[in-house]
This record gives sequence, C-alpha cells and structure tokens, in this order.
Amino acid sequence: MSETRKTIENVPCTFCGCLCDDLIIEIEDGQIVKNTNGCAISKEKLLGCNENRLLQPLINGSPVSLDDAIQHVAEIIASSRRLLIYGLSSTENDAHREAYKIAELVRGVVDNTSSVCHGPTILGVQSSGEPNAMLAEVRNRSDLIIYWGSNPAAAHPRHIPRYIKKEGEYIKDPKEDREIWLVDIRRTTTARMVNKFIQINPASDLEVLLTLRALVRGHVLDVDEVGGLKIDQLKEMAEHMKSAKYGTLFFGLGLTQSRGSHRNIDAAIRLIQDLSAHTKWTMMPMRGHYNVAGANKTSTWMTGYPYAVDYARGYPRYQPGEYTAVDILANGEADALLNIASDPVAHFPIDAVEHIKKIPVINIDPKINMTSKLAEVNIPSAIAGIECDGAATRMDGLPIYLKKVIDPPEGILPDREILRMIYNSLMKVLKK
Amino acid sequence: MNKVGVKVTLVSGRTLMQGKTMEKGKTSQEYFEAVSYCEIDATTLKALGIEAGDPIQIETQLGTVVVRSKLNKNLTPGIAFIPCGPYFNALIGSYTGQTGMPIYKNIEATIFPAPEEKIPTIDEITGDK
Repeated sequence: MSETRKTIENVPCTFCGCLCDDLIIEIEDGQIVKNTNGCAISKEKLLGCNENRLLQPLINGSPVSLDDAIQHVAEIIASSRRLLIYGLSSTENDAHREAYKIAELVRGVVDNTSSVCHGPTILGVQSSGEPNAMLAEVRNRSDLIIYWGSNPAAAHPRHIPRYIKKEGEYIKDPKEDREIWLVDIRRTTTARMVNKFIQINPASDLEVLLTLRALVRGHVLDVDEVGGLKIDQLKEMAEHMKSAKYGTLFFGLGLTQSRGSHRNIDAAIRLIQDLSAHTKWTMMPMRGHYNVAGANKTSTWMTGYPYAVDYARGYPRYQPGEYTAVDILANGEADALLNIASDPVAHFPIDAVEHIKKIPVINIDPKINMTSKLAEVNIPSAIAGIECDGAATRMDGLPIYLKKVIDPPEGILPDREILRMIYNSLMKVLKK
Repeated sequence: MNKVGVKVTLVSGRTLMQGKTMEKGKTSQEYFEAVSYCEIDATTLKALGIEAGDPIQIETQLGTVVVRSKLNKNLTPGIAFIPCGPYFNALIGSYTGQTGMPIYKNIEATIFPAPEEKIPTIDEITGDK
C-alpha cells in the first residue's frame, strides 16, 4: 500500500438527512479514492468532490482575490434595504450562526431550504405537537413502518437497508417481525422494497388521513370509498395500525408539497396521537438535505424561529408565507440575495427565479451551480464534512460531528470563515 | 387545426439519477438528461401517437416546457412525473397560500406531441441575467 494512502472510518455522509456515519473513506495522495458503505449518491458526492468545482472568487465572471470579493459583497449588502439570506441546509451549524449574525446586523431576512421542503411539517408540528422518535429506537422496536408520500429508494437510499431491514433489540428477524407499507400516488422504486403498496388518488392524502383517524376512533362512516381506497381496506389498515406494538410513520414531500400542505401534516400528527391511545406510534419527516434539520435548530436557537425570519425591525419576526424565500422573491421585495450552499435557481418556481435575475446575487458554494451562473459575486467554499469539520443534525434530531477527511483546494475556506469575513467587512463599511 | 393533447396530473420528485447527477454538477450533460424528461404511461404514449423518447410539450396554467417522453410501465394512466429541477419549475407558480411552499405536486397539465420541438438547455430555461 502506498505510504500516502490512509483509511478513515465512521465518516458521516453529507448528502441526505440520514447522515449515515459509517462510511469508510480511503484517501491516496490527498484525494478520496474509495467510499465503502456509501450509497450511489454518497459515492458520487465523495469520489466526485473535485468535479465541477469553482476554484476562484469571481465578480461578474472575472477572477478576483478573496479580499476584493468580500469587500464587494459588503458593499452590495450595505447598500441593500431588504437582503435575503437563503440556503444553509447543506452546510454545517457554525456557518449558520455567522449567517444569522449578518441578518441581524443589516436587518435582513434569513430563510433556509426547509421553506420548500418540510416547512409545512414545522407548521403542522407547531399546531399539533411532535410525536418524534430516534432512528435507533425505530430500528430496535418498530414492527410496523409506513412510508407516506416518500420515495427513500431514490432520495434516502440507505434508509430502508440501514434502519428498517436491519435487526434490532426487539426485532430479531426484520423479514418476519417487521412489516413495511408504502402509501403513495404512484408505484415508485420503493414499492419493490415494501410488504404492501397502497395507492391513493392524487391530492387525497388529507381525506385518507382523516378517514383513518375516524376509523381508529371507532366512528362508522357512510361512504364506500375515500381517496381511491375501499372503506373496508381503510378499516383493515386502521385495525392493523392499532394492533402494532410500535408503529412509525415516515413521511415525505408527498404530504408537504401537495394540496393541503401543513394541514396534511396536522392530520397525520393527530392520527399518530389517536393511535397512541391504543399502542405506541411515532412519526418522522424524511429530511432531504443533510443539515436541513440543523438549519431549523440553529435558526431556533439564534432567532427564536425555525425559518422565515425577518430582522427589519431590529428584532426577529416569523411569518411563513411572507418572509419565506419564494414569497419574498416572487413579491419582488428582496433587493439582494446572499445564497449559501443551495441552488434556488434550480429549485424555485420560474417567477421567483425571474426576480433573482433582477437583483445582485452573492453565491457561496463549493461547486458551479445554476445560481452561480446568475451571481454577481461567486465565492467558492470548502465542502463541509469532506474538506472541513462541523456539526450537523440528522433527520431525527441527533447531532453528528462531521469530519474533515481531505484538505480543500488551495485558498478555499469553509463557509463559516467566509461569512465571518463578510460580517467583519460589513462592520467596517457600516462603521459599527 | 387544434392541438390534441392528453390531460394528466403532474407530479415531481426525486430520482436516484437526479440526486447523483446533481452531486456531479448541475452543468453536466448527465444532470440535463436526468431532469429533462417526463414519465408517462403506455396508454398516454399511445394516445399521443408517439414513441418513448420523442419530445413532448407540457402545458399548465402557468407555463409550458418541452421535454423528452419516457415510458414508465408502473404509472397509472392520468399521472405523469417529471424529476424535480428547472424543467418542472417552469410549469409552476410561486403562490404559497401563506405557507412558504409552492405547490410542486398534483398540477393539472396537458401533454402534446412536439415532434418538431427541441428540448431547451438548462440555460435556455433559466435564462441569462
């Protein structure tokens, strides 16, 4: 073996909310050459970490020094009246703190990507509670798992193999002792991995959830069918759910992004509460970005609110639908965008993107993405969890320490350092 | 002559290739191929009189886009799927109903055959500044 080859074990993967912390990473000559245990996406992320990189700060496409880029960013932010700071979910917690400090300093708005993923989950939780569990608890105890509006085979490839199809303390043989259902409007690749696929009509989640609630509570319903399911089938589902020893509902964007939105989540939480009158049930959102759960937590620690925070009055205010990124862009309010570790141009509706084109954009990201192509200033950063350490929060709320396994390209700093430099530069420009 | 199309409920979501190629790089050819298609069922394909892989035009109340058709034998007739990304986003609006979340799923759309149309590049979809 080469002298420069080394192996690092128990490395967390910084792709999805599973934050799988069992990767074995082999490094040769300062480059990652092997990723054992990672899923297909994890392998691409780690082995391809040098692909498509931005290696030099740019102003309007021309290379500049980092100091000049920071100075230009400070001038843009200082002259803006309604700065939107967005992203954060694909970087580590310390970077978040620096972003909130900038928002407070310039009385801007700070939002994270949960506003277009599980933001409605937070609204549902705020109105009905959070019957949460840890993934290890689910693996050790859960004998009935339901995925609802979620396709883990595509978005969280190791969720089922690592937590559901593995034995646990009280689930000795997962094939025999654990049942997995999938509720969705289309037969996805996850359907091949479950015991039962239950297809419901598009946008009927709320009706099906409320029907299950009524049936669990023992009501007799004078209908034959709800959401494409026969009432007898729904009764059977309700009885089976009541007879589980420990049930878990994992839900995805099929609930949050369709009609009903936070009301779907509210209904799901109430269903779990009703089931818990009979047996033990918990639920968990299938968080997408590896640290979107962390962004909600750090935002709550620092500002008091999980996302959609406005500092215009000098103190934080919270209003999803008004201070959320899509709204503030589509309403034409934001006059500058500081984007950190996300790609709104790739993922926002086209009219929100149209507004991004009209305002100065500062983009901090390790790679060239669609937002960087529209940005006035691009500052490349180190990839958290590969080229710098930090902390992130798994989908169940467990904080996990991220490891630095290789050095970043020369001159490239972590997001937190770049944001700190912007803050310090702003202090000078604003003479504070 | 009026255009004849097929009405569908359009949904978006993640795919393994969308995730992999997003990590590879959003300017890569692989990412373009992973997000610029629409999965439809065999009945819809037949009704449109096209072969899988032919270009199709998708229209909603709020936008229109040309993508590649792809057969998904597991889809129920009446449902179509586009991986999340800029092509799907060209079809939706920004109204969030005071939740912050636009409606990314279950959009009413009509699919038309578009044999003469070229599938736009991602830059053409998002446009230059």
